[in-house]
Amino acid sequence: MNPIELTLGIMTAVGGFVDISQVVFAALAGSVFGYSLIWVFALSTVGIIVYGEMSGRVAAVAKQPVFNLIRHRLGLKLGFITLAASVLSTLITCAAEIGGLGLLLRYLTGAPYLLMATLSAAALMACIWVLPFKWIERIFGLLGLLMLVFVFALTAIDPPWEKIAAGFLPQVPSGLSSKQLLNFSYFAVAIFSAVMFPYETYFYSSGGIEEEWGPKDLPTNRVTAIVGMALGSLLSIAMLASAAQLFGPAGVGPQIPGSVALQTAIPFGPVGLVLALLGILFAVAGAAIETCMANAYSIAQFFGWIWGRHKKPWEAPRFTIAWVALLLLSLAIVLTGVDPMSLVQYAIVFSILVLPLTYLPLMLLADDKKYMGRYVNGRLAKVLGWLFFVLIVLMAVAALPLFVITSGGQG
Amino acid sequence: MRRVLLPLLLLAGCSKGPDADLQYISQARSLGFEWAMVNELAAQGKLTGAYVDTMRQSLREQLGTTASALTQPQSQYGNEIRALVAEPANAPAAELRSHAGKLKQIEDSLESD
Repeated sequence: MNPIELTLGIMTAVGGFVDISQVVFAALAGSVFGYSLIWVFALSTVGIIVYGEMSGRVAAVAKQPVFNLIRHRLGLKLGFITLAASVLSTLITCAAEIGGLGLLLRYLTGAPYLLMATLSAAALMACIWVLPFKWIERIFGLLGLLMLVFVFALTAIDPPWEKIAAGFLPQVPSGLSSKQLLNFSYFAVAIFSAVMFPYETYFYSSGGIEEEWGPKDLPTNRVTAIVGMALGSLLSIAMLASAAQLFGPAGVGPQIPGSVALQTAIPFGPVGLVLALLGILFAVAGAAIETCMANAYSIAQFFGWIWGRHKKPWEAPRFTIAWVALLLLSLAIVLTGVDPMSLVQYAIVFSILVLPLTYLPLMLLADDKKYMGRYVNGRLAKVLGWLFFVLIVLMAVAALPLFVITSGGQG
Repeated sequence: MRRVLLPLLLLAGCSKGPDADLQYISQARSLGFEWAMVNELAAQGKLTGAYVDTMRQSLREQLGTTASALTQPQSQYGNEIRALVAEPANAPAAELRSHAGKLKQIEDSLESD
């Protein structure tokens, strides 16, 4: 297998894991709760690998992207509700990413935020319009790897590795007040939701169909899902652990993406800072493309339109209008002056409400021998799939009350 | 659902006083320490000029927003946050840490009540 074939998984994961919400959340989680939330990243990474692999397998064997399944399995009415909620949550996420790009370019150049956000949206539109799908995933997947500087920075500050290792065991820190316990629970739910953002599977499975995957590509799908998602998780955990080491003891609770880049400036100076900002920039740009395309894929698949970036824009006109309109709408949200970091909070809560309705139809089809033949879910995929489904439902029930009680983790 | 959410929203939205301000005190403390960290690293030549200017401006704006959200602006913590906002952009890290440290003490005492 050619390693370059992994780029779809890398872009999905780097854009999905290390989007603007995760950058801030991972660092804030490490600063406030030390290493004790690492296990939530690890657990949810297993979850997204299970569902990512499943969605790729269904795309390769049954040639069904996720939103086709949602419409067929949930029916038109519930399917439409899922579509509406998913489009709304992904649109908010896309707006947050574009706002994040504006902020990051401002840190790099000092130019005005709204101007940078507008230029970012224009550049993204040009990329999606001009570049073939393979090149989009290669450019943003590979340049997002600049974020590996966070892993090197963590190594350079010589953190307490035994505490990081212990963080992989499920735990609740002792001695928390009831208020802190609620905050910890909110962070756990929010991290779980942000890692398992549904747009990742919409994009990944649609990408598999764009690349005309078939059963022969199933080993690539499995390796891509595992390596890509594990890489995204590694980056997030590195940011969390650095924050636990550098920010927590200093009393800093980072709230903006610019703060996170300090983690690399401390050991590596201006070079580390610029590499970190560029890495986050490309990862967030990948996430903006991913969210915009995932929304257009979802809408086109639900209504049965011709779709795909492998077609010329005029060969799939409604799909083309959809992604252009969604990108412009996201920019319009940013231009209202709303804080991108507030958007992130709402996107996370909305997303977790959509998760059960996204992953249930996927599970049902991947379990169906009539469609999947000998590629039906094995015992491990079945057990893990249902286990994570129960977890997702529990988190979906808890998300909104926790968000309100803790004022989005600030309480 | 509405029965569950309504009391929560009322609880979250209607409280006043130091307890309601605790989240803003905590935010201001964090912003103060972060500003100190930025100025310290800038003095060591570890940051770029555009980054430093943007971060200082952003931190100051957030501190201003936090100050305006207080339900008791004339309190000890309100004065401390205003003093922090009034500091020059390139204030010495030690001075910024001193303000943030006082906010931390107030935060800790409110949390232990």
